[in-house]
Amino acid sequence: MALKIKIGKIGLLDMLKFKKMPEVREAHIAQTPADPLPKAYASNAKAALYHPRCQEVILSEIIPNGSDTKTLVFKSASGAPLAPFRAGQYISLGLQIGDVKTTRAYSLSSSPALAFQGIYHIAVKENPGGFVAPYIHENWQVGQKLTISSPEGHLYYEPIRDSKKVIALAGGAGITPFMSMACAIRDGVEDFDLTILFGSRKEEGIVYRKELDEICAQCDKVHVVHVLSDEEKEGFEHGFITGALIEKYAAGEEVSVFMCGPQAMYNFVDGELAKLGYDEKHVRHEIFGAVKEPWTLPGYPAEAKGQTFQLTVKQCGQVYMIPASADEPLLIAIERAGIAAPSLCRSGECGWCRSRMTAGQVFIPQKGDGRRYADVMYGYIHPCGSFPISDVELEVPGEYLN
Amino acid sequence: MQKYDAIVVGAGLGGLSSACRLAKAGKKVLLMEQHNLPGGVASSFKRGRFEFETALHELAAIGAPEKRGDIYKLVNEDYGVGIEWLAIPDLFRAIHVKDDGTIIRDFTMPKGRKEFADKLEEYAPGNRKAMEQFYELFDECERALGYISSAHGSPDSKVLRSQYPNFLKAGAYTPNDVLDALKFTPSAKKIMGTYWSYMAVDMYRLSSIFYLMMVGSLIDGGAYIPRHTSHEMTVGLLERFHSFGGESWFNVRAEEILFNGDRACGVRTTRGEVYAKHIIWNGNPSMAMANMIPAEVIPERELKLANARKFSARMFVVYIGLNKSCEELGIKDYNIFISPGLDTADEYKRVGRMEKIRSTAALCYNVVNPDIGPKGTCQMSFTMAYSKDVWGDVELEDYVKFKNEKAREILELYERATGCSIIPYIEEISVATPWTFCRYASCPEGGVYGYEAAEWDNCMARMMSLSYDNNFKGLKFTGASGPRGDGYSEALITGDMMGKMVLGELAKEDM
Repeated sequence: MALKIKIGKIGLLDMLKFKKMPEVREAHIAQTPADPLPKAYASNAKAALYHPRCQEVILSEIIPNGSDTKTLVFKSASGAPLAPFRAGQYISLGLQIGDVKTTRAYSLSSSPALAFQGIYHIAVKENPGGFVAPYIHENWQVGQKLTISSPEGHLYYEPIRDSKKVIALAGGAGITPFMSMACAIRDGVEDFDLTILFGSRKEEGIVYRKELDEICAQCDKVHVVHVLSDEEKEGFEHGFITGALIEKYAAGEEVSVFMCGPQAMYNFVDGELAKLGYDEKHVRHEIFGAVKEPWTLPGYPAEAKGQTFQLTVKQCGQVYMIPASADEPLLIAIERAGIAAPSLCRSGECGWCRSRMTAGQVFIPQKGDGRRYADVMYGYIHPCGSFPISDVELEVPGEYLN
Repeated sequence: MQKYDAIVVGAGLGGLSSACRLAKAGKKVLLMEQHNLPGGVASSFKRGRFEFETALHELAAIGAPEKRGDIYKLVNEDYGVGIEWLAIPDLFRAIHVKDDGTIIRDFTMPKGRKEFADKLEEYAPGNRKAMEQFYELFDECERALGYISSAHGSPDSKVLRSQYPNFLKAGAYTPNDVLDALKFTPSAKKIMGTYWSYMAVDMYRLSSIFYLMMVGSLIDGGAYIPRHTSHEMTVGLLERFHSFGGESWFNVRAEEILFNGDRACGVRTTRGEVYAKHIIWNGNPSMAMANMIPAEVIPERELKLANARKFSARMFVVYIGLNKSCEELGIKDYNIFISPGLDTADEYKRVGRMEKIRSTAALCYNVVNPDIGPKGTCQMSFTMAYSKDVWGDVELEDYVKFKNEKAREILELYERATGCSIIPYIEEISVATPWTFCRYASCPEGGVYGYEAAEWDNCMARMMSLSYDNNFKGLKFTGASGPRGDGYSEALITGDMMGKMVLGELAKEDM
């Protein structure tokens, strides 16, 4: 039985209707006004304000903070609000130091509410022997202009996921994301119970001391416990942040543990938390920058240490041949050569520098390897977390900052 | 000055497919993309221990090894991408649930013609004949479309009338008209209409042909996902493009399409100006006309067309990684369509308002792909599409709280409909709103389906207007805004089609 469907009253008219579809369409188009088209739609305009590709700011104030740290206050260059952020997120600063174009990620330490007034704070520790921090300490004056990224990063409180109570472990300048969380709770932007176990060497070196005291006095959801490693004083915990200390302040409640500090602190505390039975859901780390001394890690080919290889960088039709030390991530070699390459986290995780390796071999530390599965399959690498162990050819994405 | 035969702007599926088609034919092609990844919305992202699929629910036209579908033939065989496809066991489960948790309907539909018809008969008796005729009509439409494409879009109307009369009769009507004509009962129509949300247009305004082709090919060939997310597919396509000799620039944004008289001749980018004989734009034509194309070269008809069209499917997606396995959580289904089970026209209106979330397409990837994440975990996503730009009204100050409220609503809806507890086990969560799709893929209003394929602008009418739509010399558009509308398959096929059209023009120009 052949199918004979009947939809309209007379089958042949249906065929005519089909044939006339383009005509009907043209008639509909013809009777529409030829108005100018909007440059952006409402959601696109909001998204552009929420996630700008980059932002122009002016250093408006430098405030001494503790004994070796400075708080830098940035104001939006245009006076408009800066991109909103979630307490705990970081920005990446675009820097030109001599011929080197580089970036550094700093956690925002101010209240998310201040972003709407066009203000961000970060704190920069002096870090003698470093490249960027000493430069900032010595050279930057009020009025310095710079380009920064949109807020990034995933160390923030997520009410659907995290426990109502958070124990934050801060090592030195690692207080900054928690400083912002404390401000957010005080300002009613966030709502959770925050206990910060804050490790410093000595009382005089404590950063944000006064500000934290003030927040604790104003807001009963924020608690700060100072832990001094280099001196024993009344009213302070002494030693390092340990499992026992975390248990003491968790006081039997289910808690989420957030941490931000040096690699050594993570290594020690992670061991402590594992012994106490904390699972991945309840423990979050801020990224801490590039791995140092990769030759100390398992899997590193010992013969590569100290060697210099040739790196061929292809970027949007340009080709550069540059040296690359086996002791540093490939991104550093690219930046040393004055090539502007994209980067954000500089820890191997975020993938913003993701590049296609067309020849050569690299060592990628397992911890901090943030690559997608198919990228591993097809030989893509994150140059900020990859160390050359042979000559390498790399296709690097372009970089634009507007 | 013309360095390239073609520049493809945007490495979404449509752009990748066009780029592969042209490069495989030996043309000198530059593919540029504003993001640092290919794929557009077809990608993946990492959070903690998990890598999440961004967009793909399922792909038809892959087919089993003994009967490969058109997309397998295009992507795996023609372009040569070695993607491993995983078959989804059932077509779908749908749960119609009231706000108080009362289940109105709960049905699971299998793939395969007989199996689907048997199951439909079980849930909604009296539809055997209707279902048989549905398959017959689907087969005729498939043959008719094959004939039309073999006739390069200019079919002989006598052949159409004599051999494909039902195709012609159904062609101008909606799925609802066709299901009525085939005499499906009202409860069977509820089941047959489940896929409307994949097209984001209700059953009264879609083209019946596109509806029939999608539902029919899913019943016939089942559905598939790539083992390693959409990113495996899009990086794979990009790698093939490179091996065909193509050049790609990432993190490079196009700022203007350059014209020589009324002919597109290049692109001004953040890396300077580049020139080519042809430009293929993998983005929305309305946005391109507003921001990238000089006003004096835009024909009035194109401006009117852009004004007449609506955007489609502004996506809201919640991705979660759980610290329990799907077995431990009692999750057995890959995809569940949860809704109040209203008439699709009412559903469409409802998702045009910012109200409590009552519908979602929920996925649990581990059901199909047990090795997608670490042992003892599973990952899920929950999607809904808004039919208006209601997220444009959200204030920046309220955004985080608001999106978290919406995320909670969608997760609680799932718990209410299935009885499975998931919220306490969330180890990672990420929430994408229409703003997110604006950010990463420059989608207008965060709508990832291009223009709404409805009524006068349905895909059948678009295909018939192909030769004069978006008519710019040296410039073509590909992707979800193209003639075949939204979806992975459609974007890939549109990309292929646009690539072939440019090849044809290049051949003429070179003569």
